[in-house]
Amino acid sequence: MVAVVSEDDKSKEVEPEVAASLVVPPNKVKDGKRDNTKDQLSPFASVKLSVFLMCLMALTILIGAGVPQESQGGQEKVFEVFGNQIAEWLVRLGISDIYHSPWFLALTATLTLNMIVVSFQRVFPKLKLLKNSLPFFRGQDIRKLPVHYCLSVAKAEEQTALIADLSVRLTKMGYKVKAEGSKLKGEYGVVGRLAPSVTHVGLLTLLLGITITSWTGFTGFQPVLLDEKLNFSDSQHSKLWIGSLPKWQVRVDGTRRENYPGGQAKQWFSNLSVVDDKGKVLHQGEISVNNPLTYENVDIYQSSWGLAKVAVSFNGHQRQLDLRPMGEKYACFLPLDQDTVLIMSLASEGKSLRVFAKRREWQAPKLISEIQSGKSIKLGDVDVVFEKAIPVTGLQYKRDPGLPITYLAFGIIMIGVLLAAVPHRHVWVAVEDNRLYMGGTSRKAKVGFERSMDNLVEKLKASFTLQEQAQLDQGEQAHV
Amino acid sequence: MSDFQLYLTNTAGLSSVVSFWVFVASNGTKRFNSIALKVANGVMLVGFIALTVAIVTRGIEAQRFPLANLYESLLWFAWATMGGFLYLCRSYGIQQLGWLASLLAATMFLYGSWLPQSQHDISPLVPALVSYWRQIHVPPLIVSYAMFFLAGLSGLLNLWQSGRLRSLAFCVGTIIAASSAIVLGTFSKVDTQWLQILFVASSVIGPFLAFRSLPVKDAAIEQSKASSKAAEMYDDVGYRCVAIGFPLLTIGIITGGLWANHAWGSYWSWDPKESMALVTWLSYAAYIHLRIQRDLSAEKLSIVSVIGLLLTLLTYLGFNSLGFGGLHSYGKFK
Repeated sequence: MVAVVSEDDKSKEVEPEVAASLVVPPNKVKDGKRDNTKDQLSPFASVKLSVFLMCLMALTILIGAGVPQESQGGQEKVFEVFGNQIAEWLVRLGISDIYHSPWFLALTATLTLNMIVVSFQRVFPKLKLLKNSLPFFRGQDIRKLPVHYCLSVAKAEEQTALIADLSVRLTKMGYKVKAEGSKLKGEYGVVGRLAPSVTHVGLLTLLLGITITSWTGFTGFQPVLLDEKLNFSDSQHSKLWIGSLPKWQVRVDGTRRENYPGGQAKQWFSNLSVVDDKGKVLHQGEISVNNPLTYENVDIYQSSWGLAKVAVSFNGHQRQLDLRPMGEKYACFLPLDQDTVLIMSLASEGKSLRVFAKRREWQAPKLISEIQSGKSIKLGDVDVVFEKAIPVTGLQYKRDPGLPITYLAFGIIMIGVLLAAVPHRHVWVAVEDNRLYMGGTSRKAKVGFERSMDNLVEKLKASFTLQEQAQLDQGEQAHV
Repeated sequence: MSDFQLYLTNTAGLSSVVSFWVFVASNGTKRFNSIALKVANGVMLVGFIALTVAIVTRGIEAQRFPLANLYESLLWFAWATMGGFLYLCRSYGIQQLGWLASLLAATMFLYGSWLPQSQHDISPLVPALVSYWRQIHVPPLIVSYAMFFLAGLSGLLNLWQSGRLRSLAFCVGTIIAASSAIVLGTFSKVDTQWLQILFVASSVIGPFLAFRSLPVKDAAIEQSKASSKAAEMYDDVGYRCVAIGFPLLTIGIITGGLWANHAWGSYWSWDPKESMALVTWLSYAAYIHLRIQRDLSAEKLSIVSVIGLLLTLLTYLGFNSLGFGGLHSYGKFK
C-alpha cells in the first residue's frame, strides 16, 4: 500500500531544509543559543529586494529597447519618431539616453550592491551546509515528508535484505547511499546545490572583468580611406581611466568587397599594416567580418565597408567626388544648372560608372552613358574620364584588458545555470515494527521524483513480500 | 527549396494540425481516450521526425547551418516545441499540454507559410552572419524560447486545473491580443505605433486583471482532488521548462556577447533585441528567485510564466514585426 498524505496532513509536510532539521536542527542552535544569522542580515541581503530591482531593471531596459536611443541613432532619430513635443520630454527625462541616465546608473549600482551582499550573506554561507551530513530518519519522521510510503513487511527475515536491495537500487539511480542497521539515507544531485554559489561567483567575476576593462580599456570606430591611417585619438573610455593609448597607427593597404554571384555582399576584406611613427611596418594582416587583427592586445575589426569617393577628370582636371550610399548602390550629384543635375552611380568596385541626367520636368533620371574604369566618354564639349572608385573601410577597435576574466566569468555563469537544472533529492528509509517507511524530498522536478519513487516501490513489491498498509494510524487517510 | 524538403515541411505542419485535433477529440471520449492520446502523440512524433529531416536537408542544400532568417528560425521553433513536448510527455506522462503544444507548432508553421517566398528560398548570408558563432549562438536561444512558451502554456493549464477560470480567460485573451499585434505587424500595413500600443497595453492590463481575479475560483474544479494533483503537476512542468530554458537563454546571450566581441569588438551594444533578451532573462531570474523563496503561490507563478511568455514573444518576433529595429534585423523582411 502506498500511503500518500491527505490534505490534512499537508500542513505537516516538510521541505528539504526543514527535513534536515527534523532530528537534529543544524545551524539553528549553537551552544544552547538560537542562531540569529537571519536577524543580522543587511537590508541589502533581501531576496525580495533582488526581485524588485530585477523587475525595475527589466522595466527600464524594456523602455530603453522601445525608445530609440541617442547613443545608437542620434537625437534626431528620437525627434523623427516622436515629434518635437514628446521628444523634448524624452530627452529632458533622460529616457532617450536611458543607459547613461542617473536613474539607470543608480539602479545598476543598487543591484550590484544587492548581488554582492546576497552572495556573501546568503548564498556562500550555504556552502557550509554541504559539509553537514543529514541524519537517518525514524519512521515517524519519514511520514512527515512530502512524498512517503508505508508498506508492511510480511517476513521478518526480509528486513535486512530490503535495506541492502534498496541500497543497490538507489545507487543505480544515482543516489549516494549510506545504510546503518535498519535505516538508510540517500542523496542525489548534490552538485545542484552548488548552482547559486557558482552563478554568483560568475556574476562577481564578471563584475571584476567589466571593472578592469572600464578602467583600463578603450574602444572606437573610424572610417578609413585606402592608404590612410587609423589612429586612436578619438577613442572612447570611461572618465575614471588609468589606461594608455597605442603610439602606433594602422594603415589601410587595400580593401575590397567579395560578392555572391547575384551581386549581394558576401564578405568585406581589408589589408592592414601596423606602422610606428617613423612609418616602419611592425605587423601586417588581412581582416574580414568576424576575423579581426590583434596587435599588442588591441583588436581591429572589419565593421563596415563602402565606396567613399569616385575619382573622375573633366577635360583633364582631376576631381574626387563624394559618394552617398543609395540602397545597394552609391551615387554623387552634380548640379549643372538650376534645373539639371548630373548623377553618377556606381554599384561596386570594378563595375562601370553610370551617368544619368535629371531635369526638373522629367519624372525619372535618364541614363546618358556608362563608363568603364579607366575609360572616357564625351559629354558635349567635356571629356569625362572615370579614373577609379575609392573605397572606405569601417574599422572598429578596442583594447579589453579584462577579457580573460570576463570570459572566465561567462564560463562560470554557464556552469552555474546548467547546475541549476540538476534536481537535489533526498531519500530516507527505515524498517521498524515490520513496516517499511520510505520517503523523500526534491526541490525541483517533484513529479518526476514521485514517479521514480512509485517505480521503486513497485519493483520492491515484485521482489519482496510487501503488503499495502490499508490504514497506518487512526486519523490518517491513505490512498493509492 | 527542393520538392522533397517542401514535402517534409508540409508533413510536419500537417502533423501538428492533425495531432491538435486528435488531442482535442480525446477529451470528448472516455472510452477511446488513451488510444486517441497515443495516436496524437504518434502523429506529433512523425511530424517531429519529418521536421528534423527537413531542417537537415535544408542545411545540406544550402551548404550552411540552416538558421539564418525568420522562416528558418520558425522551423527551429516548431521543432523545439514538438521535441520539448515529446520529452515532457515522456517524463511526466502529461497529455493535456499536447493540444496547446501542437497548436503552437501549427501556428508557427502557418506564420512561416505566410512569409514571402524570398524567406522560404535558400538565400546567401550577409557578411555579419558568415561565422561559426551563428550555430553556437542562435539554436540555444530558439530552444529556450520554445521552452518558455511551453512553461507559459503549462501555466495556463495550472490555472485551469486550479479553478482560476477568470484569470485563465484574461491570460488567454492577453496572449491572443499580443499575438494578433505580431501577426498584423508582420503581414499588414497597420501603423506599427498602434500595434505597439495593443501589445504593451494588453500585456500590462491582462496579467494585472488575472492577478486581481485569482481569488475567484470555480468551485467544481477546485474541489476535485485529481484537478489539484494535475495543477501541481503543471506547476512542476512549468518550472521544469524554465529550468531548461533559462540555462539555454543564458548560454545564448553569453555566446551572442562573445560573437559580438569577436565580430565588432563589443559584447553589448544595447541593441533593442539584445536588450529584450536581457529583459526576458531578468524576468525569468526573478521567477526562479520567487520560486526558490516560495514567495508566490503556484497560481501567481503561473501568471508570471505567462508574462514571461509575452516577453519571449516580444523578444523573438515582436521587435522585428512591431518596428523597433536594431542590429538583429535578419528576421525582418519588410
